Amino acid sequence: LNAAPGRAPRQHVRFLPAPAADGGGAVELVAARVPVLADHPLVRGPRFRRLKIGAGHRLDVKASGVFVLGIGHGNKLLTDLYNCHLTKVYTVGGLFGKATDDFSDTGKLIEKTTFDHITREKLERILAVIQGTNQKALLMYSNIDMKTQEAYELAVKGLIRPMEKSPPIITAVRCLQFALPEFQLEIHCLHETQQYLRKIVHEIGLELKSSAVCTQVRRIRDGVFTLDDALPRTQWNLQSIQEAIQNCQLKVETELEKTLG
Amino acid sequence: AAMAGAQRAAGVARPLLCRGLGVAAGPPSTRQLREAEEAAPVFQYASKATRRKDRVFVWGFSYSGALGVPSFVRPDVGWKKPRRIQPTPYRLETEEKISSAACGYGFTLLASNTTDITKVWGMGLNKDSQLGFQRSRRDQTKGYEYVLEPSPIPLPLEKPQQTRVLQVSCGRAHSLVLTDSEGVFTMGNNSYGQCGRKVVEDEIYSESHLIHQLKEFDSRVVQVVCGQDHSLFRTKKGAVYACGWGADGQTGLGHYNITSVPTKLHGDIAGVNIIQVSSYGDCCLAVSDEGDVFGWGNSEYLQLASVTETTQVNVPRHLPFKIGKVKEAACGGTGNIVLTEEGNVFVWGYGILGKGPNLIETAVPEMIPPSLFGRSDFSPDIRVAHVRCGLSQFAALTNRGELFVWGKNLRGCLGTGRMEDQYFPWRVTVPGEVVDVACGVDHMVSMVKSFT
Repeated sequence: LNAAPGRAPRQHVRFLPAPAADGGGAVELVAARVPVLADHPLVRGPRFRRLKIGAGHRLDVKASGVFVLGIGHGNKLLTDLYNCHLTKVYTVGGLFGKATDDFSDTGKLIEKTTFDHITREKLERILAVIQGTNQKALLMYSNIDMKTQEAYELAVKGLIRPMEKSPPIITAVRCLQFALPEFQLEIHCLHETQQYLRKIVHEIGLELKSSAVCTQVRRIRDGVFTLDDALPRTQWNLQSIQEAIQNCQLKVETELEKTLG
Repeated sequence: AAMAGAQRAAGVARPLLCRGLGVAAGPPSTRQLREAEEAAPVFQYASKATRRKDRVFVWGFSYSGALGVPSFVRPDVGWKKPRRIQPTPYRLETEEKISSAACGYGFTLLASNTTDITKVWGMGLNKDSQLGFQRSRRDQTKGYEYVLEPSPIPLPLEKPQQTRVLQVSCGRAHSLVLTDSEGVFTMGNNSYGQCGRKVVEDEIYSESHLIHQLKEFDSRVVQVVCGQDHSLFRTKKGAVYACGWGADGQTGLGHYNITSVPTKLHGDIAGVNIIQVSSYGDCCLAVSDEGDVFGWGNSEYLQLASVTETTQVNVPRHLPFKIGKVKEAACGGTGNIVLTEEGNVFVWGYGILGKGPNLIETAVPEMIPPSLFGRSDFSPDIRVAHVRCGLSQFAALTNRGELFVWGKNLRGCLGTGRMEDQYFPWRVTVPGEVVDVACGVDHMVSMVKSFT
């Protein structure tokens, strides 16, 4: 980063002595723009010695996916994005038949159960109920008075969202794949942790009178950042990072303006 | 000396009792974990043959005994306090699968279509014998005025082990029971002829054993509906009969007097095949097989204002709404609701109609946006399957088994857990898929199938 061409040094006007046009020993003062010596790279040293990097929403060790980082001024944008309370989308993979103590497949086994009675229809019914109760929680934590016309209008458009701290809320769930004993869900949520999603998988198993563990948690969208914007391991170099920052700038600005006004 | 030796050995980090009795455990290796997992016993909680169970949930005002849980009114344990209102759904244990339920004004009827002897249970207010005669256990000559738990109603059936009860309906102080082969049984208050028998002057209705049977209709009765003080019968041929109080024209017979014998309605529904009738207060709606809506009765709250200015309409009138083919209609005390074939819900009338606090009254049906029932880009195929009305509440059931309620929250009857009125459709959290719901004045009963 320091090798890249930096800012051009500041220029200022100085009156420099220069030999007069008519020769002889007389010295005249001529105004000239010269670079400020204090800006010279040898005086100043490398432009960047430390970078302030901040992280967006947490992603724990066993999960994977989109992880937003902010550099320098981006940290302030990160706080603003946090206050927007946008939803995140995860693909969660689960496995029926086991129950472990930390709800993932690497934990200590607590119980094994049968699961051949589970059908996709039953799973979808449970998911519909989860969505329903979370919808209610969404309306309740958004702190809007339910008796106003404005609350009704926001509810019709589906724009009611909690704008402050709230317990984890799932705004939408959908079953993407179902092949006993494995299944995959797409979950849209707010204010959650990955361990909460694993707990949800465990509770789905319990509701279906069996047990389930979570095999995979992958964040595919965090607010405005999707998998397409995210850089894979092979692209963790300066060029790609700079391009990515530029591509996302417009999106972030429009989103912040829309939500925070 | 031996102890000192052992302690020294411990200082050298060797197991204390090293006499070849065993190796220290240490963290289990992957192979050991896998073997332990495979050797673990498998539990079975449900199998492919497990059937979904049918349950009944009740909520609302409980002091009249209408919820059927005696411990709400008379606590069985000393430290429990009487529960006046049950704000969220509470499971009611029933012996049989309940196929039909109806909520009246402070009482409830539950019916099962079994061929056992006991087919109908009632609970709640029984001051007019709307639940039949419930013999008191303390005094064999007297009856109960309040029935606190579902008690069987003895119907005078000719073939009790063959007849099935299809449907029940409750009004203010009377109830109707529809059977498949023995006509309609009516009980309760008859001061306006709503039970279909001649009005007897100064008749005492409480502790009465009288249950009247009605059989003279043009064809088999397939639906019975109770209004506040009148009764409507719909027959298989598509005709509608009415009896009871008519001062608001709710009997639809062309006059404002009481009728004590079920009489056929004419007017705009003569010759029309009616597939559904509905009433709860003093206004009545009927839906024909072609999707037209007909109304008669009280119109003080603009329920029929689209066709007439009069506030009492005593002849069925066609309501020319351009909202599509209507599948189901329900009448409340002051507001009406219809469901169209596409799954859209329209409301009109007066009161909390479900479109926010600004819409108080309208004479023309207004649609409730489907996004309030959960339809979105994520789940585009959610449709409303049924609509029901209480006196000042509305209920809608979706095809996913979710129950939405809105309206005046009288004594917690909405079941939302809050005591405030609800101005737009709100989900009721019921642990199961709601199959049917019956709305009353201040309580509701729902029939639910468990998830798995």
